[in-house]
Parts: sequence; C-alpha cells; structure tokens
Amino acid sequence: MSADDELFESMRLELRRGSLVLAVLACLRTERYGYTLRQALAADGLEMEESTLYPLLRRLESQGLLLSEWREEEKRRKRFYVLSPLGASLLERLTAEWRAIGGSLDRLL
Amino acid sequence: MTTPSEDIIDRWLEAVAAQLPPETRADITDELRELIVSRMEAKEAELGRDLTADEVEGVLREIGHPLAVAARYRAGPDSLIGPELLPWWLYGVKAGLLVLLAIHALSLVVTLISGPRDPGQAISQAFHGFFGSGLTLIGALTLAGAIMEHYRIRPKWMTEWRAKDLSLFGLSDPTTWGVKAREASKTSTAGGVNIRPVQVRVGGSSPAGEAVFSILALGLFVLWWLGLVSFPGLATFEVADQPVTVAGAPVWTTLYAPILAFALVQMAVDLFTLINPTAERLRALFRAAVAAANLVLLWFIAQAGDLFVLTSAGQKATVAIDQAYLTLDWLRMLDERGRDLPGVASTLSIVLTWSAVVMAISLLGSAMLNLWRTVRPKVA
Repeated sequence: MSADDELFESMRLELRRGSLVLAVLACLRTERYGYTLRQALAADGLEMEESTLYPLLRRLESQGLLLSEWREEEKRRKRFYVLSPLGASLLERLTAEWRAIGGSLDRLL
Repeated sequence: MTTPSEDIIDRWLEAVAAQLPPETRADITDELRELIVSRMEAKEAELGRDLTADEVEGVLREIGHPLAVAARYRAGPDSLIGPELLPWWLYGVKAGLLVLLAIHALSLVVTLISGPRDPGQAISQAFHGFFGSGLTLIGALTLAGAIMEHYRIRPKWMTEWRAKDLSLFGLSDPTTWGVKAREASKTSTAGGVNIRPVQVRVGGSSPAGEAVFSILALGLFVLWWLGLVSFPGLATFEVADQPVTVAGAPVWTTLYAPILAFALVQMAVDLFTLINPTAERLRALFRAAVAAANLVLLWFIAQAGDLFVLTSAGQKATVAIDQAYLTLDWLRMLDERGRDLPGVASTLSIVLTWSAVVMAISLLGSAMLNLWRTVRPKVA
C-alpha cells in the first residue's frame, strides 16, 4: 500500500468512526443479536469488526441507549439488543444533526 | 469430552476472561462464545463441512488477540497518558532531562577540573548517573500522568493558562534557543495586508514556565538534600590520582532545616504561581520575600566562610567563601592554580565566592523588582 493509500485509509476510517454509533443505533430499531447486527451493517456497506462492535454495544447499553436480554434461539442462548426509549430519542436528534452536517458538506463539496 | 475446536475456543476465552473484571467476565465471554460459534457455523455452511483446528484458529485471529479484545471492554482511559496530557508529559520529560543534564554536567566538570586518574571512567559514570536519574524521572512522570489520566485530574494551570505565560515552553526546542521577539518582529506587506511573521520569544518573563522549571529543579534538590538521590562526582572525586572525599562544613548542619524549609517554601510559591497565574501582585510579593530570605541565607553561609573540607591521603583543604578572593587578580590567576589538593580547593573557593556575589546581586535585583511589581500601577 502506497503512502497516499495509507493516508486515505486512515482518513477514511476517521470519517467512518463518528458515523458508526449512529448506524448501530439505527440498526437496532429492530431487535438483533451481535452477529446478525454485524451482518445487517455489512449488508448496508458498513463493515465493522467484532472487537469494536461488541464493546460498543455494552457501552451504549451502560449509557441507557440500548436494552438487552439473553434469550434462547435455535437451541443457543443469544444476547439480543434493541433501542431503549432514551436511545430512540437520541437517535432522532443525532439523525437531524447528521442530515444538517450532510447538507452543509453537500453544499461545500 | 471436548473436541479440539472447543478446546481452542476455551483457551482463547480463558485468556480474554483473565483480563476482564470478575463482575462482567462471564457475561462477556458468553457473548463472545456465541459470536465465535455463529461465525464458525457460517463458515461451515459455506464450506459444507466442519472446520479444522487451523480454520478455528483463523476465526479467532480475525476476532483479535485476547489482550486486544479484552482491552476494548475496559472502562476508563484507553491509554496510559492520553492525547490531552501527552504534551505536558513530554514537556516535563524534556525540561526535567535538561535540568538533570545540567546537574550531571556540572558534577562532571568538577570531577574533571580535579584531574581524575581515569577521565574516561569519570565521563562514563556521569553518563550512567544521567541515564539512571533520567529513567527514574521519566518513570515518575509517567506514573503521575497515568494517575491524572485515570482519575481525570486536570489542574487549573492546564486549563486556565495565559498566552503571556507560554514563552518558556519554547525551551523544549533547543533550535529556538536565543531567538528573541524583537529580532523577529519585522513586518512585511503583501497585497496591502500587513503580515507579521511568527514571533518566537524565548527567555523573556514567563511566570508559569519559570515555575515549572523551578519546581523540577527544587524537587531534585530536595530529594538530594534528604539523601533520597545522589549525584556521583559531588561527594567524591580524584585529585592527582588520589580519591578525595568531600565533607560539608558545620554550617550545612546548622542550616540543614532552614535550607530544606526554604526550598519547600519556594516550591509552594512556584505552585501558587501555577495555580493562580493572574495573582500578579501577590506572586511578586511572595517572590520578593523569597529573594530576601535567600539573601539572608546566603549572608549566613558567607559569614560561616568554610563550606567544604576536602580530604585526600591524609591531607585536608578547605573550600570557603572569602572576601579576600574578590579581586580581579584572583580571577586572572584562576587557571594557574595547582592541580594538587590545596590548588583545587582554592580554585573552588574563588569560583564559589564570585558565584555568591553574582547570586547576591541577582537576589537583590529580584527582591527590588518584585517589590516594585507589588506597588506599580496596573497597565490598562
């Protein structure tokens, strides 16, 4: 990888980092467990490493933005996450903010 | 009975669990196990067969090393010293190392003046001492930084700084040493717009910067005074191939407690400067008092006369502050002094006597200047 590519990759990751929380919150309007959440994000073009996603889920839960529950599905215990009421209200505000930033950037770009 | 794949997964999970706090350990490892099994099932469905042990290892490698995975779950800061504290830590290390370098260089000069039997060994000892104390300093600053990072401690002098206090921070970059503001204050005009070049101002009045340096230097002095650190070359050196022992004169025993108290008071004043950078008059008053106290202390030391007794091969010579040395003839004869014990003692006496005079003038100037600052009208 050339120096230019490395620089691009590092800036691309920086650009994505801030949007991942929003993507996770949005994806968890529907109840999911970690593995299917990662697949859903990947299907929409947002690949995310498990070592980033799982701790992020715990952090969001400890902040009261997610609710979680251990449940059996297909003969295995899985931890399901879903947006809490607080998470839903925060998602609404963050979405407005995201659209405002996107609008500004669209005008600049 | 566990399969080889289960065994590999268990080992990986055990390694992760060992890094996690007991209260969340089981919950996190259960979730990670579920993740691993889901990934394995997806891969097995893709291949149409069970995974080999190597392929299971591959899945675990993709998830990450146990230390890295567990670290993501840890509460608190991700780094020992975060990006906010790092510049302060770096400055402390640089400034501290400069002070240590000066102390060890001084110690080496004293040793070399005395004509050691093996100058190479003296230099090597000085390097050894510098690296040893330097590593201790870096360790201590790192520990302090890690504690501040962990408990989110941000003292006032980090957040409520003023631009006028920043000039001495440029000293961390030796390439800017000696560059004065006035030399760089030429202005140029381009397209009708006045462009003032960036001015590097080093060495001017900077209360906060001076205070940081002063605290570091006094901290080292206090540790040395209490016998907690030692600087080789200050207590023993060689003259004419003979080891010389340096013993303090009685004045140091008499003034031991006052000097320690004085150093601690001065550190407190420096700390006050950092915590209350805007209390200019009060700071000036404290500094005037410290300078006056320092003058009194210097007066007592000068009155005592004898400072150190050098002993070598049964011979003794005294290093003293003596008014008689205050003639230019003595300064001129400085390099003609003998390399024997009395010669080294008189060289040191001349140097110390003149240093005491320079220090007294500087302290008097400091006391008067700070007294003036306490009463001068404030600039609007």
